[in-house]
Amino acid sequence: MSFRSGVATFAGKSSYWFLHTFLHGGSSLPGKITLKLDPNILRTLGAKYDVIVITGTNGKTLTTALTVSVLHEKYPSILTNPTGSNMEQGIVTTFLNAKNPKTGRPLAVLEVDEANVIKVTQYIEPKAFVFTNIFRDQMDRYGEIYTTYQKILDGVALAPNATIIANGDSPIFHSKELPNSIQYYGFDNEPDSDFKAKPNTDGVLCPNCEHILHYHSLTYSNQGKYFCPNCGFSRPELTYRLTKLGEQTPTSSKFEIDGHPFKIQVGGTYNIYNALAAYAVGRFMNVDPEQISDAFNANQQVFGRQEVIDVAGKRVTIILVKNPVGLDQVLHMIGTDTHPFSLVGLLNANYADGIDTSWIWDGDFEQLTDREIPAVITGGERYKDITFRLKVAGIPDDKHIVEPNLEKVVTRITEVPTERVYVLATYTAMLQLRKILATKGYIKEGLGV
Amino acid sequence: MTYELNVAHLYGDLMNTYGDVGNILALNYYAKQMDVHLNVKVVSLEEDFKAADYDLAFFGGGQDFEQTIVSQDIQTKKAELTKFIESDGPLLAICGGFQLLGHYYIGADGEKLPGIGALDHYTLAQDHNRFIGNIIIKNQETGETYHGFENHQGRTFLGADERPLGNVVSGKGNNGEDGTEGAIYKNVYCSYFHGPILTRNGDIAKHLLVAALQRKYPDTDFSQQAALSIPATF
Repeated sequence: MSFRSGVATFAGKSSYWFLHTFLHGGSSLPGKITLKLDPNILRTLGAKYDVIVITGTNGKTLTTALTVSVLHEKYPSILTNPTGSNMEQGIVTTFLNAKNPKTGRPLAVLEVDEANVIKVTQYIEPKAFVFTNIFRDQMDRYGEIYTTYQKILDGVALAPNATIIANGDSPIFHSKELPNSIQYYGFDNEPDSDFKAKPNTDGVLCPNCEHILHYHSLTYSNQGKYFCPNCGFSRPELTYRLTKLGEQTPTSSKFEIDGHPFKIQVGGTYNIYNALAAYAVGRFMNVDPEQISDAFNANQQVFGRQEVIDVAGKRVTIILVKNPVGLDQVLHMIGTDTHPFSLVGLLNANYADGIDTSWIWDGDFEQLTDREIPAVITGGERYKDITFRLKVAGIPDDKHIVEPNLEKVVTRITEVPTERVYVLATYTAMLQLRKILATKGYIKEGLGV
Repeated sequence: MTYELNVAHLYGDLMNTYGDVGNILALNYYAKQMDVHLNVKVVSLEEDFKAADYDLAFFGGGQDFEQTIVSQDIQTKKAELTKFIESDGPLLAICGGFQLLGHYYIGADGEKLPGIGALDHYTLAQDHNRFIGNIIIKNQETGETYHGFENHQGRTFLGADERPLGNVVSGKGNNGEDGTEGAIYKNVYCSYFHGPILTRNGDIAKHLLVAALQRKYPDTDFSQQAALSIPATF
């Protein structure tokens, strides 16, 4: 370590200690201080690690957590970054905060924001990249899906020897020739048929000849066994296959990968993709399927984004929603609940939520209207937008409670006729709600996101 | 339902960013209240658009790549779309759809891409900047105020026979210079508004539906539909 890196590291570490000890925080400021003193610090800090970078629009956090669990079955020392610290400063802080490994070459499994991949690969050549998916997400920040993928590839270009482990069901990950070795994972559990994606789906043009893609089978959005009837472009050969999809509930999923049975304690097809990605990394790193199954069974806390809270006898599940594909998947998952439930939609439009609320119209709320939902509460700073969205989706006025104030939303929740309540909230609405729930003693402050 | 309208959702599988499909949902919502059933059909690449088959059309915004492809394909529909517009067919065009009804637009890589020239505007680009944010405009003729969210790189300049949809009260509008937003030509309404536009501005949905009804059923009195009250949603 150079003198400069040494000073920078010391400054960052001591600021972490100070923030952590006295202010109960410190996720990116130490990185910021260290980067100021030595902009090339990641080269020094990351040199002794084998690094796996996980990136994409949805599923980064859970895939990272699951991958860490899976790899722990074989590797004792793994460094990872906490939720929300997926930009350069947070990543530097993560390395600063690491204890020196006792033996061998340690692993680092990092969730990295799409545009920050290059800020890692400038200094570190990862062993592998994991691409989860690319969907429209807060486009006021990065632009379109092709721009986002290009940002990732700009980073990958500096690491041609890294293996890419990519979602093979997503056509965009098969759209560019790359020098890297690539392994694909995907769903292979249905007989072939021939159809197009739903009209309001993003990214359905053949990257090769620009005709509309068809599908032999499709999981959701534009993901599946795609093919182009015009030029023959098709899904690449899969290295890791989901071979059977079993029972799905809002709190569990059963499935088989490469013929091995698995169960995870979380609902949603999107979470099966996350598990499939973690399985793929595990197999790539020579972890046995049985060990992977143990890891999936053992680790339930990683599913914290869907924790269930007891609010005066109501079983309240709070789910973060941030983009149309994620929202659709959450709505689908809720629909697998066989018990009656009430629904709460909380919409804010601050920077962290996405300042444009138009995306709620891409979410298929209409799928809920087959269900008898006895109470729907809408609130948050943009309650008018979410209220009208649900009105148009067909929620009858006599079932609809409009309550902008989140404090009163909590009271309303205690009054609904069902035991089960699903709360869909954007990021800052979720933080505000959690604060209120903590004040009222339903949860402890500082838990979760 | 007593009445029926056939709606063309132009390139609905490619031009569908920022919740623009919400305009179809809002049309449906208000149509039901007017005793009107909508048959919505996506008309996309290599598919025919026949002016006589449709009573109403919607054309949303898209990503740069998709819009480039649509710019080529739409030339095959140019004659029929122009015929639809010139025969007072009601059409709502948003963002990329707005641009493609005009003469041309400048794409993301600086190349000049053709529209169909059915309307007399053209669209330039701006360097490394987009107009992003909430926007409010006022239509001087109706006195109606419209709310939306704009997110566009293009700067559009209207032709002599187009009126703006409104004058900018706050936000950027067509080009950030002349205070106009959107365009009206015959029964065509154009705008950069997402939000989507018809979910926050039900009056425009009503204008489109009533125009389509009067055109399809010329001997019927639709004053009751025209009087439908639209509560504020924003």
